[in-house]
Amino acid sequence: MSEIITTEGVPLKVSLKRAERINKIRALVLVLPLTLFIIITFVIPIIAMLTRSIDDKQINTVLPKTFEIYKQWDRKQLPSEEMYATIFNEIMTADKRAIGKASTRMNYSKSGWKSLIKKSKRKFKKIKEGPYKEKMIAIDKKWGKIEYWKAIGEMVDPYTFGYFLNAVDLKYDSNKKIVQQPEKRRIYNYTWYKTLKISVLVTLFCLILGYPISYLLATLPLKYSNLLMIFVLLPFWTSLLVRTVSWIIILMRKGVFNSILVWAGIIADENRMQLIYNETGTLIAMTQILLPFMVLPLYSVMKTIPPSYMRAALNLGAHPMHAFYRIYMPQTVPGISAGGLLVFVLAIGYFITPELVGGADGQLIGHFIAYHLKSTLNWGLCAALGTILLVVMLTLYWAYNKIVGIENIKLG
Amino acid sequence: MIKSIKVVLLTLVSMAFVATAYADFTFVSWGGAYTMSQQKGYIDTWGPVKNGSTKVSVENYNGGLGEVKAQVEAGNVTWDVVDVLPVDVINGCDEGLLEEIDTSGWQKSPDGTSFNDSIVENGTGASGPISECAVPQIFWTYVIIFDPKNFSGKKPTTMKDFFDVKKFPGKRGVHTWPQAVLEMALVADGVEPTKVNSVLQGDGGTDRAFAKLEDLKGHVVHWSAGAQPLELVSSGEVVMSIVYNGRAGAAILSEGASLDYVWEGQVLDADWVGIPKGSKNKAEAIEFLKHATTCASQAEQAKYITYMPMRQCGTDIIAKNEPWFHTGIDVLPHMPDTEERLKKSVFTDPVWWADHNAELKEQWSAWMAGNK
Repeated sequence: MSEIITTEGVPLKVSLKRAERINKIRALVLVLPLTLFIIITFVIPIIAMLTRSIDDKQINTVLPKTFEIYKQWDRKQLPSEEMYATIFNEIMTADKRAIGKASTRMNYSKSGWKSLIKKSKRKFKKIKEGPYKEKMIAIDKKWGKIEYWKAIGEMVDPYTFGYFLNAVDLKYDSNKKIVQQPEKRRIYNYTWYKTLKISVLVTLFCLILGYPISYLLATLPLKYSNLLMIFVLLPFWTSLLVRTVSWIIILMRKGVFNSILVWAGIIADENRMQLIYNETGTLIAMTQILLPFMVLPLYSVMKTIPPSYMRAALNLGAHPMHAFYRIYMPQTVPGISAGGLLVFVLAIGYFITPELVGGADGQLIGHFIAYHLKSTLNWGLCAALGTILLVVMLTLYWAYNKIVGIENIKLG
Repeated sequence: MIKSIKVVLLTLVSMAFVATAYADFTFVSWGGAYTMSQQKGYIDTWGPVKNGSTKVSVENYNGGLGEVKAQVEAGNVTWDVVDVLPVDVINGCDEGLLEEIDTSGWQKSPDGTSFNDSIVENGTGASGPISECAVPQIFWTYVIIFDPKNFSGKKPTTMKDFFDVKKFPGKRGVHTWPQAVLEMALVADGVEPTKVNSVLQGDGGTDRAFAKLEDLKGHVVHWSAGAQPLELVSSGEVVMSIVYNGRAGAAILSEGASLDYVWEGQVLDADWVGIPKGSKNKAEAIEFLKHATTCASQAEQAKYITYMPMRQCGTDIIAKNEPWFHTGIDVLPHMPDTEERLKKSVFTDPVWWADHNAELKEQWSAWMAGNK
């Protein structure tokens, strides 16, 4: 069979392939900006975060010889003169900035290293020759304390899970065995628990409050539902801080709500309720702020449910409750899922509102990420906390997919 | 029509570029009355700003070095001068996030004291800048305030009173981080204010402070933003609160708020300014900072806020020229640094806090969680 030739004398197969290739390239060029955008703003930062959470090369590059000797040290008695002499030389010869960064890292494992290194860098100049041990201890007593030496044991490897351990109230001891943080420093597990608890509760409250509202929005005649929609959207457009502060004014002890109750004689003046600067306040304010994120997906899903289904069920003799439970609700599951996930994801990373209205209960995990990002500059710990947050979200997503099915999420 | 819109758009865009070309010198601070005091105290009075050759664009931030670190690591530094806390200036210098600035030859005081020596105290018991990257700004203080109207009988006068919930029932406003609270607890526990740092930094010092804090168990409302404590006190949510003295001073002097201070046991802290490493306008920034730290500029700033000049010569100018506040009121009674008050004050030690910040923050958060 002879080949089919186009008018230009090229075999049709080749010609078609060429045209297809051009189309493919064109398609690729079209999606390229978006792909690049996703890679630059999403993939690279996440990879950077993951690397930062385990990276521990900083100090190995500054004190390499010290670590060589450290590996032989028994961790029971003060190190030998040799180790003192080595660390002395490495501190003296190190670049000021490199040693500054290293001392910050060392300070994470034992408070005090930071100023010790800086002071030593300044005062070691006076020491001209060995033996170094006594002279270094004379400059600062910390050089003679074994716990400082032990603390650098966790840093011998270029990679570490130390930041992750820190994020769940654990740490390495000097032999790189995993132990618990001292009891008075344990705060992260409690914070994780509190963050999850508040996020779950806020999602539940949003669902309980948002479901009837969405139902009304979807079923009322247009002129009423439009008005109702404005009520939902108005606070959505109001500044977050304004809404948060409004809740303080409403809920404080001498605030609007308590005063009305006192005025109505429901509670006595001296028994005003503590509704703000605690968990209650956090839950109320966060629920109100996140409510639109539940209502809008629910509404758009409910809008698509034909009313005839319910009517049919009722016609066939179902009790209204039964019809609602068997016919209406299953159709709203995609909306519940979408709203629930949205609210939960937003709630788990929330930080300004709980911080302002939550008092002692207001420090959720977002607070600690922000604190270490800005104040202690421990970005490794930030990255570890962020990674755990990501893993928690992905696990929930996976579990959701197993139980309900991801195709069941609908925003409209 | 469409063409004219295009022309307008193009002009706007090009204007934006021109504007950025002039306003490339960026000063970053905390906002509110404090930034206003800096604006009026030494930005507006700087020669190049006055004659219009340079624009200083002022930005606000929330403290910490997160933004600076991000800019330096990304190699794209857009801030030129940043107002920072002592702990941050130390950390920033160690990590190479701030430029080193040699201030030793800057303007002497009228009495001949060198620039660095005119900073009498930096928190560590020594004079001069706290770090090689620090340029002096102001001292401020964590102080107790209360509304005298809420006390019919005796009014609180000491730090002991703040910790005594039997003598003065009611809640206390306390911030959500450990600095200053631990120092205050030790004062309330009977430690001489001048010896607080050595006790706190000695063996068992922090444990003793936390033990004293047990007295406040169940009586604390925690605040996180500077405006909150004033609101807490004036609304009666708490009977006393720790507050930044500048906020209280502004409320009293500018708004006539009914507030009184407990100066005993106040904890002095500072603000320094630094230049982010790799600033494109370093030379200009240094010239600007030389102007910002003259005795006159230091004093001028105190016309607008009750934070005290770090340089003694600035305070001297105020003392000679009272009433100094811009509303025509004496400002020194609202300053933390009268001789009498300083004797009963604690300087928070930023070097020690830079070491122990993370650890004590965790311990403090655990304390907060267990003390509801």
